Formats: sequence, structure tokens, C-alpha cells
Amino acid sequence: VNTALTIPTFTAADFLPVMPAAILTIGAIIVLLSEVFLSNKSRAHQAPLSVITALIAMVVAVENAFEPAREVLQGFAVLDPLGSWNSALVSLAAALASLLAAGFLKHRNAERGEFYALMLFGAAGMSLLGLSSELITLFINLEVLSVATYALTAYLRRGPRSAEAGFKYFILGAFSASVLVYGAALLYGATGTTKLNAEMVSALTTAMAPGSGKQMLVYCAFLLLAMGFAFKVAAVPFHMWTPDVYEGAPTPVTALMSAAVKAAAFVAMVRTFLFVGKVVTPEVVFAVLAALAALTMVAGNLMALPQRNVKRMLAYSSIAHAGYLLLAVAALFVPASMANNHDVSIMSASPLGLAPNLAADLYKGILFYLLGYTVTAIGAFGTLSAIERREDETRGSTWDLDRLSGLAQRKPFWAAAMAAFMLSLGGIPPTVGFMGKLLIFRGAVDAGLLGLSLLGILASAAGVYYYLRVVVYMYMRPVPEGAQEPARFWTTELALGTSAVLVVVLGIAPGTITEWLSRAGMVFGR
Amino acid sequence: VNESNLLNLVVWSPVAVAALVAFLPKGEAAQIRVATLFGMLVNFGLCVAAFAAFTPGASEFQLEYRVRWIDEIGTSYHLGMDGLAATLVLLTGILGPLVVLASWTFITERVKEFHLALLILQTAMLGALVSLDVLLFYIFFEAMLVPMYLLIGVWGSEERQMAATKFFLYTLVGSLVMLVALLAVYFIAAPAGSRSFDYSTLYNGLLAGQREAANCVAAATGHCNGASVAGGALFRYGPWLFAAFALAFAIKVPMWPLHTWLPDAHVQAPVAGSMILAGVMLKMGTFGFWRFAIPLFPVAARGHQKLFAGLAVIGIVYGALMCLAQRDIKKLIAYSSVSHLGYCMLGMMAFTAEGATGSAYQMLNHGVSTGALFMLFGMLYERRHARLMSDYGGLSKSMPVFAAMFLIITFSSVAVPGTNGFVGEFLVLLGTFKSGLPWWAGVFATSGVIFGAAYMLWMVQRVFFGPLTRPENAALVDMNRRELAATIPFIVLVLVMGLKPQPILDVLAPSTDKFIARSMYAAQGAEIPEAAVQVVVKPLPPKGAVQPMAAPPPAAAAQDLRPVDAAVAARAQRLAPGFLTPVARPLPFALPAPAEKNP
Repeated sequence: VNTALTIPTFTAADFLPVMPAAILTIGAIIVLLSEVFLSNKSRAHQAPLSVITALIAMVVAVENAFEPAREVLQGFAVLDPLGSWNSALVSLAAALASLLAAGFLKHRNAERGEFYALMLFGAAGMSLLGLSSELITLFINLEVLSVATYALTAYLRRGPRSAEAGFKYFILGAFSASVLVYGAALLYGATGTTKLNAEMVSALTTAMAPGSGKQMLVYCAFLLLAMGFAFKVAAVPFHMWTPDVYEGAPTPVTALMSAAVKAAAFVAMVRTFLFVGKVVTPEVVFAVLAALAALTMVAGNLMALPQRNVKRMLAYSSIAHAGYLLLAVAALFVPASMANNHDVSIMSASPLGLAPNLAADLYKGILFYLLGYTVTAIGAFGTLSAIERREDETRGSTWDLDRLSGLAQRKPFWAAAMAAFMLSLGGIPPTVGFMGKLLIFRGAVDAGLLGLSLLGILASAAGVYYYLRVVVYMYMRPVPEGAQEPARFWTTELALGTSAVLVVVLGIAPGTITEWLSRAGMVFGR
Repeated sequence: VNESNLLNLVVWSPVAVAALVAFLPKGEAAQIRVATLFGMLVNFGLCVAAFAAFTPGASEFQLEYRVRWIDEIGTSYHLGMDGLAATLVLLTGILGPLVVLASWTFITERVKEFHLALLILQTAMLGALVSLDVLLFYIFFEAMLVPMYLLIGVWGSEERQMAATKFFLYTLVGSLVMLVALLAVYFIAAPAGSRSFDYSTLYNGLLAGQREAANCVAAATGHCNGASVAGGALFRYGPWLFAAFALAFAIKVPMWPLHTWLPDAHVQAPVAGSMILAGVMLKMGTFGFWRFAIPLFPVAARGHQKLFAGLAVIGIVYGALMCLAQRDIKKLIAYSSVSHLGYCMLGMMAFTAEGATGSAYQMLNHGVSTGALFMLFGMLYERRHARLMSDYGGLSKSMPVFAAMFLIITFSSVAVPGTNGFVGEFLVLLGTFKSGLPWWAGVFATSGVIFGAAYMLWMVQRVFFGPLTRPENAALVDMNRRELAATIPFIVLVLVMGLKPQPILDVLAPSTDKFIARSMYAAQGAEIPEAAVQVVVKPLPPKGAVQPMAAPPPAAAAQDLRPVDAAVAARAQRLAPGFLTPVARPLPFALPAPAEKNP
């Protein structure tokens, strides 16, 4: 090992991928600094500032998505469309969540500068997580986003649920992070490198060679890494924290967590496994991912069925949606031995087996699904945040289905938007949810995963029940006695409107976006 | 008007008018009504133009319009209509203005929203009829639910919420199951890269598999080794996929025992809701069987022919018996719908030319006669706000014109010769007796005709004849000019379709031929060439190209696979109204001999 200190030389191009994260961080710092100079105690500027920051970051990230894939910052990060789209998604989610938070916090007199700063810092962490191609960098970015979300979860610390949720999230999050870092350490022990690139592949190949004695180490490392990521994406059976945390967190934070944290974790997972999975026996990788996908799709939907608490139902639904995404990730790792039963044309000579065009379709599907889920879930949680009232929190009925009864008569536009979100989550055309599911299931079917896809389609058909129940309550139940008029905030309505329009427009005319996303097939390392 | 844009105008003109109506002030009820009526009349004119532009004997699907839509998943914006769709489009167009006229004074609250719902519903129904892309069809099919739900739930009578919810959930459950099956067909019908939701891709993609699946079923070995992907999938999952499609459409028809939403929906709906529901929306179920469920899964459909025919017969008899037991007039008309649509389904499931023609004709008849019955009863209800027969009696004395109109429509409903109902029911029964179905199907179905006469005439007798027992009935005023204007088109249709069915039968003939060929495709003993059933449509325009505005491309005409039709069309133009002639003409392919009826 060369111990001589070398000063690395970076060019401006090296910093291109981290620009969105840098912009988000600068925005966060400005928000924090503005606290010092507050003269009239008005914090009205903070939400718009965060939104604008996040939107600028999103534009920069979209620009980056058209750059050719390459290694940057000495191999600690990569610039590729997958990572750039992740940054764009995360920024979009942060912008929408900030819009939601403005009204939410004002209603509770809880406006403080650290809320938006934490959101932006967290988003920066998520953006960087999607770029990291080195295990320590990856872990640090995971912690950056996690610490921000722990704090955000417990933000309303005097509320009955927030502290519990924050604590639970912190304990389990720290535990899962330690599992992940344990896996990374074992991997380093087996290979002597932490870089996720050709170096890792060659070292792993040596470690997996017969007689090296390190196979068990590599398998343990893989399983621990898989567990760590499964915690973060809330895959069954590592999902136990999700409902409690999602329910207890302030609703705009839940929206951000369900969409952006998940997106970043998925991208990091794909990136890590692309290098580890190339060498570890492909059947093992596939079996683990396929089992997680099957369990998550089925259990997520089944557990959501009996929920009367809409926020909890959406938490379980977010688990189910992680299952569909896991199905697509599993399809990326279809081993060549399985292809023999189907069609040989789905395999290529590349180490991972799946033909490049099919893999590109899957990346596109995953990203489109994440995009669709982001706008839909933020909209759905946003509607909940708009109707919830502080007074109900002590009684624990804040998010009961009955609170939505007759919403169509009280707030026709909110109800229409919520109905669009529910249809999209259920995967009913012409919404973005249908397009996303179709792309994912098509990719999985093309990769030869017929049985798993059928399971997924049936599970999501069962899921339609609990989404439509919300619609039924909104449109077909009378307004309950003594229902109070929910407070209106233009920021909340803007976020709901934007999400609803995106849900429908991306469902009817996804053309341009899917074409842009097609370039996500160019993942670094393929 | 450019021909290839005609269907676009037909489908979207109501929504365009709705956009205008949306800008009218809320209080101006009269303006809103006039604007909607005007829009519906324009739409009616466009529907007539589309019907007139349809040439029987030319290519199967005409007035096609196709542009790229979502390339990613292979769905295009593709409109086009065959003979059955052309007649149903005409029916929908006719009902449009009549529905507005019928609700002229009945709807006084939220007038603007009511008319917006009517216009949007019109677009959704027409769109579903002319969509040749199955995803597009599905979107229109689902979109029909929302305005109809509002029509029942907002402007209905006392129990409207319950009825609307029931209607909505029943239909939605069925269509969601269909969506799953539709996705399965999407995956089975074409390999990766060439997948499409277009009807032609789905149908033609399954064709080779149909024959393999049919052979495997006939071989009865329990497996289908060596078949293609489509063949193996159709063999194994075909019955399930057929069941999923059939469930969605059977709920919509509705077939017994899935009919329970219908009486509630009809009874609670306002007159406009009942008219549209009976007139067009129930036909979406039979149309779906005709267009999708049976042609896509002929092997499974033939395998369950007796089951579905049996359900249809039970529906006919059960509906009729329920009618005999009703005291509520609206409920009686609703149950008569169950009975009449049983004929549609029975005729279709007979898989004979007569049966299919009768089924298609019966769809139109039911739209006219039941739509008219609901409208006429709506006039009565507006005057008296009573639904029970015992509230009426002797109305022919106070409302002679109304009674006469009601009687004519009743005759149509009970299929008196000379009215449209006779043509349809006669053909259906003829087709059933000629088919391979067991004898009981025809016999019990015929008993439905007798029951039908009994319950309708009994109802007429109790409502219109006898002494005027109640003073409030004596004071009822007869029809006014608006009501007459709304009724006379129905009377004309009843008589024209009853006395001169030939023009409509000519338009239907190519569709029935295709339907029979497709439903009997790959049946043992039937020699139907692949070319006779293949769906030939306009190809997808190349990317970036301007939509060519010409009428159907010459390629489609050159590929015309049905020389017989030209002769039929020529003869139809030449001949005087030859009653029921087209069904006597030989089919352009050989069908298996009907099975022995008494084994």
C-alpha cells in the first residue's frame, strides 16, 4: 500500500455531480443564517427559499443526467444518469415537501429555521448517497440523510407521537446502519478495497476463487449489506419500524421519507450490488432479492388491508411499493441459469447476464416508478397533512378514515386530487402509477420473472381495495357531524395541485420523460 | 369534414360543448339547457354522418384515426368503428338530445353540473364504442363510471347514495379484474419489443395460439407441450382470462346473478340516468363480450357456452318472474332490462349467424324501448311523484296521448310483430334453436316472451285502464309539446326498425360474420382460414410523420378478405325491404354441424 501523501488534482468536471447537493447545502446554510438576522420574527421567507433552492438543484441534476457516465473524485463518486436522476427526484421531493411544510408548521406555530435546513441537508445527503461509489462515502452519506430525518421525525417533540417515532427510528436506524457498516467492513476484509469499481470486482474474484477461504466472508458481507439496505427501503421482514415512524413523524416529513429516502436507498443498493453481485454466485443474490420482493409485495398489501388509519395505511402501502421496486431490482440480477427455462435472448455475455436493452428498460422502469411514487405519495400525505388538526392528535383519531368522510362536498378539489393519488397508487390508468407499474412488470416479465410478476400484479390488485376505500369515504359518505372546515394555505394547495397535475400528465403523456429516462440505462460500471 | 377526423369529432364534440357550458353562469338554467341540447344535436348530426359514412362490405373497421400516443408501452390513439359500433354510436347519438329534453323540467337543482355530467358521459360512451386501442377503451370504460355515479348519487331519489355506491363498486370490481387480465393478454400476445395494446396486435398475436390451444383442449391430454408461448398460455390460463373479462362485462350487462345493482340503480336514478343506463351503458357489457371477451378467448368461450347460455336463460326467466311480482313500475322496467339483455347474451352465446344478428339488433331495441319506457315513466313521475302501480289507474282518460305512446313502446318491449322488438327476439330465438345449445335454452327463453307480454300488458292495464280511482290522477295534464318532441323519435324508431330493419341489418352483417368467424375460430370441424378473422387496421404512422388525412389506405381495401360482403351490399341496395334476408345468406366459411340435441 502506497502511504505517500499525494494531493489529488480535481477539475471542475469532478464537482459536476455534487452540484445539486452543494446547492441544497448552501440553501440550508442560508436558511440557518437568516435565523440570526430575523428582525420581525417572520419566517415566511424560509419555505419559498427552500423550494427555490430545491428546484434549482433539480434543474442542475436534470442537466447532469445527460452527461456521459464516468468516475469522478478519484473514484469516490460517479457521474451517471442513475445518480443524477436520483438527485433530481430527491430535489423535487424536497421542494414539494417544503411547500407542504409551510402551511403545516404555520398551523402549529412551529415554524423554526432548522426544519427547512434539516430537510435540505437531508436531501443533500440523499443526493450524494445516489452518487457514492465507495463504501465509506456511502455510509457517511447514509448517516447524513439519516441524522437529518431522525431529527425531522422528532421535530414536533411535544406531540404524543413524534418523540416515540423519532426514538424508534433512531434506534432501529442506527442498528441497521451498523449492520450495513459491518457488511462493508467484512467486504473490505475480504477484498482490501472499499471502492465500488473494477478494483472491487477483481479483488472479489480473487476472494471467491476456490481455495481462497474467503467465500464465507463475502457471503456474510453480502447478506449484511442486503439487510442494511432492506432496512432503509423498508422491505419485509425489515419493515417493522416503518408504520410507527411514518405515523409519528410530521406528515410533510413522512412524505419526504416515503419518497426521497426510499429513492436514494434504492439507487445506492443497485449500485452496490452491481459490483458485489457480479462476483458473488448470482443465484444467491437473485434468491435474496426475489424473496425480499415477494415478501414485501404480499405482506405490504396484506397489512395495509385492515388499516383504518389512513396515514398508517399509506405507510404499509409504501412498503408494498418498495416490493414492486424490489421486483425490478431482482429482475436486474436474473442469473443465466434461470434463463435456460425461458428464452436465451434475455441474456447477454455481460457478467450480470441480463441483456443490456432489458437492463436499460428496468432502470428506466425503476426511475419512472420512483418519480411516479414521489409525486403520488407526497400528494397523498400532503392531503392528509392539509386535513389534520392539532386537537385530534391526543385522541388518536387524526387520520381515521372517517376524517375523510364527505371530503368531496367540503373540498371538492382536494378530494379530486386525493382520488387521483389513490388511483395512481392503485395503478389504475390513466395515472402515472399505472404507467410505472406497467414498466416495472413488463421489465420483470421480459427478464423471465413470470411467477413473481403475477404475484405482484395480484398483490397490487388486492391493494386497490384499500385505496378505493379512501375514495369511497371521500365521495360516498356524508360529512360527519361537527366537522370543521380545514384551514387553507396556498402553499399546500399549490403542492397538491402540482402533484395532481403531474400524476395525470405523466400518466397520459409520459413520452418525453421516459425518453429522458431511457438514458438511465447508462449506469456506471455496466 | 375529413373522414378520418369524423370519429374524433363524434367523440370529443360533447366535451367541447361542455367546456362552453362550463363558462355559462350558474343561474342561467335555460341557457345551459339550450346550449346542451344544441351540443347534443350537433353530436347527433355527427353520429348520423359517421353512420352514413360506414359502408358495409368495405374494410371491417372504418373511419379509422390513428396517431402515436405512448410509444413506450405501445399504445396509440386509435379510433375506428365496425358495423356494431356504428349502430351503437347512432343509438348513443339519438339518445343524447332526447335525454336533455326529458330532463328539461325534472332537474332544477345544480343544473349546470347535471348537464356537464351528461356531456362528459356522452364522450366517454362514444369513446368506448370506437376505441380500437384496448387501453384507450379501458380508460373510456372507467371514465363512464364517474358521471354516471354523479347522475345517480346527486340527482337521484331518496336512496340514491346507496344505489350509486352499489353501482360504482360492482362495476369497478369487475373492470379491475379485467385490467389484470388485459395486462396478461398484453404480455402473452406479443414478444418483448413489439408489445402493444392495439386490438389488432392483441387479437392477431393470439391467433396462432388459439389453434394450438384448441387442439390441446380437443386432445384432452391435460397438457399443451410443444405449443408456442401464446398457445400454452391460452391453454392454461385462457379460461381464467376469459372469466376475468366475462366478469367485468357480465356485471355491466348485467347477467344473472350479478344483476343486483341494476334495480337499485334504475329505481334511484333520475330519468336521464335511467335512460342512459338502459340505453347505452348496459350495451357496453354486451359490446365488450362481442368485441373482447369472446373473440380473444374463443376456446374458453366455447367451452363455457352452455354455462353462459344457461345464465342468460335464467336471467330471461328470472327477470320476467321478478317483473310479475313488482308493484313499483320503475323496478318492473329495470327487471325487464335483465330479461331483455338475457336475450342479447343468449343470442351471442348461440354462435350462429341468426343469434348474433338478433343479439346485436336486440341491443339497439333495448336501448330504444327501455330508454323510452324510462323516459315516459319519468314524465309520469314528474307529475305525480309516485312509483307504485296502485297509485295510478285509468290514466288513459286523463292522458290519452300519453297512454297511446306508452302502449306503442310497450308493444315494442313485448316484441309485437311490426315493432323492432319482434325482429331482435325472433332472430335470437331462431338462432338459439338452430345452435348446438340444448333444447331447454330455446324453450325457456321463449317462455320469457310470454311472461314479457304478461307483465307489461298487466302493468299497462293497471296504470292506464279501468276506472279513474284517484282524484289526483283525473287532474293530470297530457303531454306537452316538449314531451311529444322527445317521444316521437322513439315511436319512429320503433316502427322504422320494426318494419324496415334491412338497412341496419346490412350494417350489422359484416360485424356478425366476423364475430361468428372469430368465436368459432379453430373449433373442431370449422374450417375458418386465419385471413378471415385477422384484424386489419391502419398501421401506426411513423414517428414524426404528419398524420395522413386520406380515407382508409388502399392497402386495406386491397386486402379486403370478404368478397361476399360486396355482393350482399349490392343486393341490399337493389332489393326491396327483404325481411330478414341477410341471415339466410350463407356464411363465407364452413361451420361445424350443430351437436346432437338429445344425446
